[in-house]
Amino acid sequence: MTDQTTVQTAGPAAAQATGPVSVAELAALMRQTAGVAVDPDDLAARADTPFDAFGLDSLGLLGIVGELEKRHGRNLPDNAEQCKTPRAFLDCVNNTLATGA
Amino acid sequence: MNAEPEPKPERRAAITGIGVVAPGAIGTEAFWKNTADGVTALGRIDREGCTHLPLRVAGEVHGFDPAEVIEDTYLVQTDRFTHFAMVATVWALEDARLGHADLDSPYSVGVVTAAGSGGGEFGQRELQKLWGSGSRHVGPYQSIAWFYAASTGQISIRGGFKGPCGVVAGDEAGGLDALAHAARTVGRGTDTVLVGAAEAPLAPYSMVCQLGYPELSTADDPRSAYTPFTPGARGFAPAEGGAMLVVESEEAAHRRGAPVRATVAGHAATFTGSGRWDRTREGLAHAIRGALAEADCAPEEIDVVFADALGVVDADRAEAAALVDALGPHGRRVPVTAPKTGIGRAYCAAPVLDVATAVLAMEHHLVPPTPNLTDPCCDLNLITDRPHPTPLRTALVLSRGLMGTNAALVLRTGASASR
Repeated sequence: MTDQTTVQTAGPAAAQATGPVSVAELAALMRQTAGVAVDPDDLAARADTPFDAFGLDSLGLLGIVGELEKRHGRNLPDNAEQCKTPRAFLDCVNNTLATGA
Repeated sequence: MNAEPEPKPERRAAITGIGVVAPGAIGTEAFWKNTADGVTALGRIDREGCTHLPLRVAGEVHGFDPAEVIEDTYLVQTDRFTHFAMVATVWALEDARLGHADLDSPYSVGVVTAAGSGGGEFGQRELQKLWGSGSRHVGPYQSIAWFYAASTGQISIRGGFKGPCGVVAGDEAGGLDALAHAARTVGRGTDTVLVGAAEAPLAPYSMVCQLGYPELSTADDPRSAYTPFTPGARGFAPAEGGAMLVVESEEAAHRRGAPVRATVAGHAATFTGSGRWDRTREGLAHAIRGALAEADCAPEEIDVVFADALGVVDADRAEAAALVDALGPHGRRVPVTAPKTGIGRAYCAAPVLDVATAVLAMEHHLVPPTPNLTDPCCDLNLITDRPHPTPLRTALVLSRGLMGTNAALVLRTGASASR
């Protein structure tokens, strides 16, 4: 439900991340933004398991989308927050990031 | 709004478990010990960002670590008021020895909480991100964490409790209304309701919201900031924390062999408008009569009164008069206490803490004292210096809210022997 037109960047001084999002980064974000503790290797091994099974709900994934948008200084597509599995989510996010600004 | 007594439910609502997180007392046992001893947990507010405000004295909960009890997935998406409620719920269920194996179905357990303050700390943090850094920095949990309904929802989700749920968004008296709602829910067929209130109104934003209340005490000595029923009364000190109770149908409690510690026998509420404390004499007296009628209880049967005790001279005078109006000469004889002068008023949670205390008082046959009262001036049998041992079978709990609600609740001791 984010109104993309009102999203602001953190400002010109903010250091912005580049490059694709790794499974390890996703695992760290799950812990940081949603309190879901998951081992990166386990997340990689179960990349087609629905987020629900890890204990991550839709608001939790929305929080991760928001954090990544902040880090990369750009919007992610609306369907990113609707991805059901870690693999689908990382594919969606990294495809978007790979297309450039 | 002028609630008439409801028909007596066939299924009596029994209190079987109590969980408390209160200023100076994390856990029910510590809470009762402090309360019986008349310990004062009021203190100078030392929380970061609060010390420059003209509100100096409150009942703060120190040393509370919800992570010992509640998973991170819940903690990151909830405010401190919900942390209190979730932890108190876990402890209430343990106290009632009620586990998932005891439940016929997830639909047999409901949740009702009252809230008057909401998630101010969480809300302030996210709003500061909004205005300081931009909307991209606001997390999605802001959408749920500061709602009055958050505690009911999270308790229900975490426990998988799918029975009737509700939230009383109200002033102080809402805590008693929640108990009554739970009792009615049990009366209508739900075996168990987890009910209570917890508040966390001592974040800077929440404190600023309260500064406009003329009833707020801005005194800076914890010993004299909140002294109802005295000529020097200068308002109330706020508090955080709360209590959750397990309320079951008496039949369900008997079925699983759980001791019935008290029953919710009667309740009524009235509304007389905010700031008109003289009018609460009539409103409170009417609520007391309604609660007694529903409980089928004569005034002389009341063994102890837990007073609202606002600490505003007009309000205290109205409450003392209401007791005599409703109870007759017994109103001057019956022991009256206000243990909340030791911890402050935790808004909706204040009367729920009083209900917890009333159940414990009836079990111990001990009226806890009203701390910090050296010169009470009312025509009541106020228990001040030390606890008063006396047989207790029936308790009356009173509450009035700053927005104008008056409520009374009658509790009767359980059939089981005291423990």
